[in-house]
Amino acid sequence: MKKTMCMLLGAMMILGLAACGQEKPETAAEEGFRPSLDTSSASQIRVAGGYDNFEALEAEFDRFNEYYPNVELMFTKVDDYNNMIGTVLDGNDAPDIYVNYSWMYGREQYKASIDHAENLADPALGLDLDCIRRNIILNTDDGTLPMVPVFSNTYGMLVNNSLFEKEGLSVPATYQELVAVCGAFREKGYKNPMMGFSNQETTSLFTLTSYPFFCGTVAQDAEAVKKLNALDPSAGDYMRPTLEKIVQFLDDGCVDLDACAEIENNYDAVILRFFEGDVPMMTCSGDAVSGTKKRESRSEAFIANPFTYTFVPVPMSDEGANFLDIPNLQFSVNKDSPNLDMANEFMRFLITSEELSRMAQNKGLMSPTKDLSFNSVYAAFGDVPESRILSPEEFGLTDDAVKQVRQAVFNVGTGEMTIDEAIAAFGTFAE
Amino acid sequence: MKKSIIIIVNVIIMAAILIFVVFYTGFESRNSFRRQTEHFENTTVTMERVTENYLEGEQRLCDVWAHYINNKAMTLEEAAEYIRSSHVLENISAHLISLDTLTGLSTRPKHGTSDDYAVSYQRVGLLENVDWIDEIGESINITRAYTNPMNGEQSLAFCNRITLCDPDRKTTGAAVLLRVIPISVLEQKWVFPQTELTNAELSMIDANGNYILKGYSFKNSSFFEFYKSYNPTDPESSEQLFDRITSSTGSVSMMNSHGQECILAFTPVSSTAGWTLLGLVPAKDLAADTENWLLIGIVSAGLLILFFYDLFYMLYFNKRLQIAAREAESANKAKTDFLSTMSHDIRTPMNAIIGLTTIAEKNLGDVKSTRESLRKISLASNHLLTLINDILDISKVESGKLKLSPLTFSIVETVENLINISQPMIKEKNIEFSFHINQMEKEYLYADQLRLNQIYINILSNAIKYTEPGGRVGVDLREEKSEMPGCVRLIYSVADTGIGMSPEFMATMYQPFSRQTDSRVNSIQGTGLGLAITKRMVDLLGGTIDCQSEQGKGTTFTVVLDIPVADRQREDMQLEPIDVLIVDDDETVLQSAADKLNSLGASAELAQSGPEALGMIERRHLSGRDYDIVIVDWKMPEMDGPETIRRIRSETGTGIPILLISAYDWSDIEERAKEAGANGFVSKPLFRSTLYDKINDLIGKESGSIEPEDDYSDLQGLNILIAEDNDVNWEIISALLSMFGITAERAENGQVCVDMMRAAAEGSYALIFMDVQMPVMNGLDATRTIRKLEDPWASSIPIIAMTADAFSENVTECLNAGMNGHIAKPVDIKLVIKEIRRIKDERG
Repeated sequence: MKKTMCMLLGAMMILGLAACGQEKPETAAEEGFRPSLDTSSASQIRVAGGYDNFEALEAEFDRFNEYYPNVELMFTKVDDYNNMIGTVLDGNDAPDIYVNYSWMYGREQYKASIDHAENLADPALGLDLDCIRRNIILNTDDGTLPMVPVFSNTYGMLVNNSLFEKEGLSVPATYQELVAVCGAFREKGYKNPMMGFSNQETTSLFTLTSYPFFCGTVAQDAEAVKKLNALDPSAGDYMRPTLEKIVQFLDDGCVDLDACAEIENNYDAVILRFFEGDVPMMTCSGDAVSGTKKRESRSEAFIANPFTYTFVPVPMSDEGANFLDIPNLQFSVNKDSPNLDMANEFMRFLITSEELSRMAQNKGLMSPTKDLSFNSVYAAFGDVPESRILSPEEFGLTDDAVKQVRQAVFNVGTGEMTIDEAIAAFGTFAE
Repeated sequence: MKKSIIIIVNVIIMAAILIFVVFYTGFESRNSFRRQTEHFENTTVTMERVTENYLEGEQRLCDVWAHYINNKAMTLEEAAEYIRSSHVLENISAHLISLDTLTGLSTRPKHGTSDDYAVSYQRVGLLENVDWIDEIGESINITRAYTNPMNGEQSLAFCNRITLCDPDRKTTGAAVLLRVIPISVLEQKWVFPQTELTNAELSMIDANGNYILKGYSFKNSSFFEFYKSYNPTDPESSEQLFDRITSSTGSVSMMNSHGQECILAFTPVSSTAGWTLLGLVPAKDLAADTENWLLIGIVSAGLLILFFYDLFYMLYFNKRLQIAAREAESANKAKTDFLSTMSHDIRTPMNAIIGLTTIAEKNLGDVKSTRESLRKISLASNHLLTLINDILDISKVESGKLKLSPLTFSIVETVENLINISQPMIKEKNIEFSFHINQMEKEYLYADQLRLNQIYINILSNAIKYTEPGGRVGVDLREEKSEMPGCVRLIYSVADTGIGMSPEFMATMYQPFSRQTDSRVNSIQGTGLGLAITKRMVDLLGGTIDCQSEQGKGTTFTVVLDIPVADRQREDMQLEPIDVLIVDDDETVLQSAADKLNSLGASAELAQSGPEALGMIERRHLSGRDYDIVIVDWKMPEMDGPETIRRIRSETGTGIPILLISAYDWSDIEERAKEAGANGFVSKPLFRSTLYDKINDLIGKESGSIEPEDDYSDLQGLNILIAEDNDVNWEIISALLSMFGITAERAENGQVCVDMMRAAAEGSYALIFMDVQMPVMNGLDATRTIRKLEDPWASSIPIIAMTADAFSENVTECLNAGMNGHIAKPVDIKLVIKEIRRIKDERG
C-alpha cells in the first residue's frame, strides 16, 4: 500500500512536471501532398494578379509553408493588370506565377502573357489536371497549356432556402417549375419571387437567365457558332429562341422589372437586396456570390434574420437548367522564373481537388474541380448532367459574339427592341 | 502511516516550491515580455523617425525639382531633360504627368526600348484626384505602392504638383511630378536594425488601413481587413482599435495568418497625413522564458532527486534501524546469556573455594586432608583469576577500548616465558613436547608483549589442554621477511594430536564462550573466552590466525604477525674462539645450534649420540685439545643427557664445562643434572643470545656450581615500604615477604608514603611497592611527588606498582608516572621475588 502510494505520488510529480513543459508544436503536414524538393529550401515566390486582395491565395501560402517553412510567398497586385502584365513579365520585377486569362489567346496585345507561360500540361510537372473539369481546361491551338483555372464562374440565382422551406416549396429544376414557384410565392404575398439587376447590359437579369439558354441552342451547332463569331447578320436568327424565351419569361410574371430597376448595381446592391430576406430568388453571377459572405455582416436585415442560401442554375428550359461553365481566374507559371522549381512545386500543391476547392470556398467563388460538393453554396451545379454543362470558350463562341447576344437580350428584355429588331441588329450592337 | 504522512508532506512542499518557481518565473517572464514589448515599441518609434527622415529626404529632392521646374517655367520636355541631367541614381526615375490627360514623359525609357519615354497613368488609378498632394515643401506626398507603367516594377512615388508650359509657352497646364522609387530599393533599407528582431516586419498604412508599404506577414491590401480576418471581434471594438492604431503610439497583441500570436507596435508617421508605421513580431521572439523553463526543470529534477534520495535513504535508514533493533535484541539476549554463563562459570570455582575452605576448617587436625583442600582451593582460585582476566579482556576488546602498549621486548624472553608457563601442564599430562625456532635473527622487537604473550600462551595452552596424555604438541616459531617495512614476520604454529574440532564448531570457535564439547574433555576447565580473545588480539595486531583441524586427529593453529623490529639489537655478540661439541639426536637442532655457535665465533662440532660424543671428547682429550664446552641434550634414545655427562666426567676425567639442553623445566631435572655433573642448563629452543650468555657465564665461572633456586639468603634483611590502603592486602603481602626474610613498612596512602620517604634516612628502604588506587593521594601522584623529592636517594628509589589495575595501559600509565615495574594483584609471590631480585641486581 505504502509502496503504491509512493509510486503514485512520484508518477504525479513527473506528470505534473511534464505538464509544465512547453507544448509540442502540432505537425502541420497532412497526408496527401508529398514535397518533392528539399523542405528546408529558402526562396521567394511572387504571384501577380489584378485583385486588391487575395486572402484565399494567402491562406494557401500558409498551408504550403507547413511543408516549406522557408519559402516566402506573396501576392502582388499589378495595376491595370491586363495591360501591364506583359510589361511586368518583361521587366526586372517579373512574378514567378501570375494570373492569366484564356481569352488572351491569339491576341497580339497579350502575347507576352501567353509567351511567358510554362506549359503546364507537361507530365513532368505532376499537376493533377484530372481534378479540374475538362471543359474549362483550355489548351492553345498548338496543344500547350499555358494556364490552369483556379476559379470558375457561372450564371445562376441565389436561392433563399429558408424561405423555400418555410413556404414548403422546392427549388425549381425546370422552367415550368420556376413559373409555378414564382406564382406560389406571389400567392403567398411575396411581391418579388425573383429579382435581378436590370439597369445595365453587363450581367443583367436578362443575360444571366438567357445566356445559358442561348448557349444550349448553339453549342452543338458549329456552323451557327462560326457565323455568330463572324458577326454575320444572318446569324442573328440563332438568337430567336432565346429572345422569345426572355419575352415569355417576362410575360409569365416571374419578375417585376420596376422593382428590379431599384437595384443599383450588379454586386453590392444585388447581395444586400437579397439579404433583405423577402426575395426567394435573385439572379447573379458567381462573382457576386463570392461577395455574399463578407456582406452578411453588413446587412442589418440579414443579421437580424439570418437564413441559409445557395446558388443554383436558372432553369430556363423545360428540360432543365444549363450550367454555364466559365473559367474565372487562371494561373500561369513564368517559365523564366529564377525559382521555377519551387513555383512548379507550389502549383503541384495547389492544383488538387482539395486545395482548389478550399481556395475557391475561401474566395467564395466556384471551384474549377469536378467535385463541387466541397462548398454547399455551389453544390447544386454538381447535379447538372454533363450534357448540360456548357463552356462557350470550349465550343468556340467568342467574346465579340457574346456581347452582341447580351445587347440583343438586354434590349428585348427592357422593351427597347422587338425580337425581330434585335435579330436584325446582330453584329451592329456597340459596346 | 507515519511514513505516508512524511511522503505526502514532502510532496506538498515540493509542489509548493514548484508552484512558487512557476509563478515566479512566469512573473519574471511577463516582466521580461513587457520590457521586450516596450523595447519593440521604442524600436518601431525609432524606425518611424528613420523612415520619416528618409521620406523627408526623398520628398525634399522632389521638392527641389518641382521648385526649379516651376521657377523656370519649363515645358514637359524641358522638365524631363532637366531631371535626367540632375539625377544619376540608376533605379530611380521621374514621371511628369499632365493632369489633363494623365499622360506625360518619363525620365527613363520604357522597358525594352531606348527612346520611348511616353508614360500613361490613365489606368493606374493614382492621379484622378490629386487633392492629397500638398503645396511644395508642406508635407510628404507619397503614393501607395503601384505598378510603374514604364517597367512593371512595384514602386512608390514622391509627388509634387507643378506647372508646365505648352511648347509655345503661351499657356500652362497643371501636372504632377513623381519621383518613382522601386519598392525593392526600399525593402533593402527598411528592416529592423536589431538582430533579435530578425522576424519583425514593418508596414506603413494610410488612415484607411491601406498599405503604403507592406511587410511579408501583413496580408490583404488593407491592414484593417487583415486584422479582422484573423482576429474576430465585434465591429465596434475593431473600430476603436483602428482609431487607436492610427492615432497613437503603442502595441497590441494580435494573431497573424498562421494563427501565431504577434505583437503589433504602431506609431504615427508624424510628417504625413494620417499614416501609421506598423511593426509586427511573433510574441515568442519577445518572450525570454526558455531559461525559466530550464530553471523549473532543474529545480524539479533537483527536488525529485532529493525526494527519491530522502525516500530511499529513509527506507535504508529504517532497514538499518530494524537491523540495529534486532542486533540490540540479540545483544540483550547475549548479555543475558553472558551473565548466565558467567554466573555459572564464576560460581563453579567459588563453590569449590567456599566448600573446600569449609572442609579444611573442619579437618584442621588432618594435615594431609587440609593440604589437599588448600591445593584444590589454590587451583580453583587460579581458574577464577584467569576467568576474571579473560572477561575483562574480552570486555575491553568488544567495547573497543583495548589499546596496544608497544614496547621493546626480547622474543627470547617471550619464548622462555611461554615454555615455563606450559611446562607444568606438559609434565602433568605427559605430553611429548617440541619447540622449534628457525631463523630467528632479530631478538628485540617492538610490540605489545603482553598481548603477544597472551596470543601465544592461549594457543599453546589450548593445544596442551585438548591433547590427551601421551599425545604430542609441537611448536614452530620462525621469522620471515615481512612486506611491511621495518618489520619481521613471526609465524607461530602450534600443532597437536588432540581431539580436534568439528567444522560446525570451527565456524563459531572465535565467538565468546565457545567450547568444544567432547566426552573426553568434559572435565576440562576453561572460560571459553581464550580463542575469542586470541582472535581479537591477532586482529588488533594486524595479523592473521588460521586453523586446520580434524576431529580425532588434531589441530594446527598458525598465527602470522608482522612485528616492528626494535631499534636496539645485540649486534656485538662474539665469543672467544672456542671449540664446542654439541650432542643431540635431533639433526635439525644440531645444525641450528651449530649455525648459531659459528655465527657467534665459536667452532662447533656435532655428535648425534652420547657414545659418539664420548669418543670425540676422548680423542680431543688425548690430543690435548679438549673442547672448551660441551652441550648435551637431555633426551637421547641410546644414552640420555645425564648418562652421557656422567660418563664424560667418569671416563675422560676432564672438567670440561657441560651445558645440558632440554625442553623440560630445569627444576624437574635439576637434581639428576647436578648429580651427573652438568654445569649449567639451557632450555630449548636454543637462541643465539641464550647460547652466548650461557657460554660466557660458563667460561667466566669455569665449572662453578649452579645457584640453587630456593636460596633466598640474598633477600635477607631487605626493608620494603608498601603503600597499601587495604588492611587485608597489607597483611598478605607483608606476610608473604616475611617468608623470605624481608621486612616491610606500611604507608596507608600515597601522601603517607611520600611523607615517610621525606623522613626516611638514605637506604631505609630497598624499594617501594605502591598501590595505585588509594585515598588522599593515589599511587601515581605519590610516585610523581617522590620522583620530585630533593633527596637523590629518595627520588630515585625503585617503585613497583602493586595494583589490581592489570591492563597494559595501566602498566604504561604506571611506568609513565615514574615507576620501575608492575605487579598485578592478586600477587604471585614468585613474581614478586623475581621483581625484587631484578631491582636488586639493577641497583648493584
